[in-house]
Amino acid sequence: MKPAFSVIFFTVMSGAGLGLMVWLLVATMMSAHIRMPNVTFINGVIIAAAFIVVGLCSSTLHLANRKNVIYSLTQFRTSWLSREGVFALALFPIAGLYLWLRSAAAPTVVVHGLALVLIALAIIILFCTGMIYGCLKTIPRWNSWLTPTKYVLFGLMSGALLFVAILSTRSAEIGPLGRPWVAIVLLAAGLLVYLGYLLKHPRKQHTINDALGLKQGQVRLLDVGHTHGTFLTNEFGFQLAREKARLLRWLSIALGFVLPLVLLFFSNTPPFAPVVACLIGLFVERWLFFAEAEHVVRLYHGQQHV
Amino acid sequence: MKLGLAIDLDTCVGCHACAVACKEWNGKSLMGGAPDYDPYGSAPSGTWYNRIRQYELDGDPSFTPQGCGSTHQPLSKTINVPMSCMHCEEAHCVTVCPTGASYKRAEDGIVLVDPDRCMGCNYCSWACPYGARELDADQGVMKKCTLCVDRIYDQQLPESERQPACVLACPTHARHFGDYDDPASKVSQLAAARGRQDMLGDLGYKPVNAYLSPRKPAQVEAVALRQGLSDKAKAFVNRLISL
Repeated sequence: MKPAFSVIFFTVMSGAGLGLMVWLLVATMMSAHIRMPNVTFINGVIIAAAFIVVGLCSSTLHLANRKNVIYSLTQFRTSWLSREGVFALALFPIAGLYLWLRSAAAPTVVVHGLALVLIALAIIILFCTGMIYGCLKTIPRWNSWLTPTKYVLFGLMSGALLFVAILSTRSAEIGPLGRPWVAIVLLAAGLLVYLGYLLKHPRKQHTINDALGLKQGQVRLLDVGHTHGTFLTNEFGFQLAREKARLLRWLSIALGFVLPLVLLFFSNTPPFAPVVACLIGLFVERWLFFAEAEHVVRLYHGQQHV
Repeated sequence: MKLGLAIDLDTCVGCHACAVACKEWNGKSLMGGAPDYDPYGSAPSGTWYNRIRQYELDGDPSFTPQGCGSTHQPLSKTINVPMSCMHCEEAHCVTVCPTGASYKRAEDGIVLVDPDRCMGCNYCSWACPYGARELDADQGVMKKCTLCVDRIYDQQLPESERQPACVLACPTHARHFGDYDDPASKVSQLAAARGRQDMLGDLGYKPVNAYLSPRKPAQVEAVALRQGLSDKAKAFVNRLISL
């Protein structure tokens, strides 16, 4: 698949923003353990909103006919893309209501209840994003439960790192746990899921024989029927050199997971370093997610297995 | 009704007449627009609703002039495969569409795109295993085979011409159009008699179009040559000369 920059940027940024929102809300509900200044909370909310909004705007950049984007909220019943849009837009009024009730000192039950709704909504949005890719039977690499798991987990993970960084800007009272354990555990879980996704890879499921229904013998393409590129070759024909893929895979593992894990666990470096490393690593991971996925239409263009 | 095409993989010669006729009709039709990009330049491309590819199916390696034991094609065979929208019964391209621009008509099963709703996100083309959908970069909306919906119901046309342009243009009559819900229709009969190719059937899209399976060529019985004395003498002389 063609790695479209707008979609890569959208999924990484919105994922981190939604994850940050989740941990900010969790922290407000656990005030017995984490006492953060209100300024820190407001800063966090602004950063989370910026990440989510920039991401959502970027997601519309690859649309060829943006004037019809409003219709994309209509097919909630069948389309994961539509569901994602509806939930993402529902987030803003509910978050606004939450902030208003919070500042108006509404009863704790109401505020916390709304916080739980927002947390659920953030996770649902991440899940919908993952299912946009995970539901496609035409792309065997994506058609797995690991795809939505990855999107939810990596969003919460990068959000937790951002949360740690923002918390460190002002002195907050953190409970007896000396280290940011949530971020560390999520990084470890993220690494395991990512390795699982990478190792599950090379199960080639479909052959050129399946594509044409010619099971009797070897089939090969003689003539592809076009003299230059087509929409199909442009969208689905992306070829990634094996050496480059291997290098990028290790880079994404190292920057996205291992380096932040080591930095958080063993040293007292400024907590913005792990965030930057993790986001760069996730950009590489997301680029690979598209670049390495193969669509079955490649079989009709002469590829023997997908 | 379940309208669709039957395409004969034995008689298709891969001439691209169907694709050209499709371009000719749909390039100007109300539904369509199938633009070309840089058609006379160094990188010609364009939006096509129908593309023809040519494949080679290997012969049976155990083939001898005395015949081969398996059900295999005895010699390698060239197979031309024109591909357009299959108007699938389980059209996943329609269910993934976020705008509702893609729809499958209840009355005849034709899958269409409403250009006034499409936002050009390409998601439907990702969901299609057969590469039937291509973006019209000029209008920014997805385009696909309409089964010439603006021909087949047109009362102004003589009845014999109420067929898709590709079917009318095919010089070898490899393309047929009809209703698969009617067991007496030509396409149903052809599909039943010849069998249809199972193209990525395990994905579960249930394509309506049928690709009629190539027939196995009739086995010709090999007759051993009877060699007389003069033939043997000639063979002997030939061997001497070629020494």
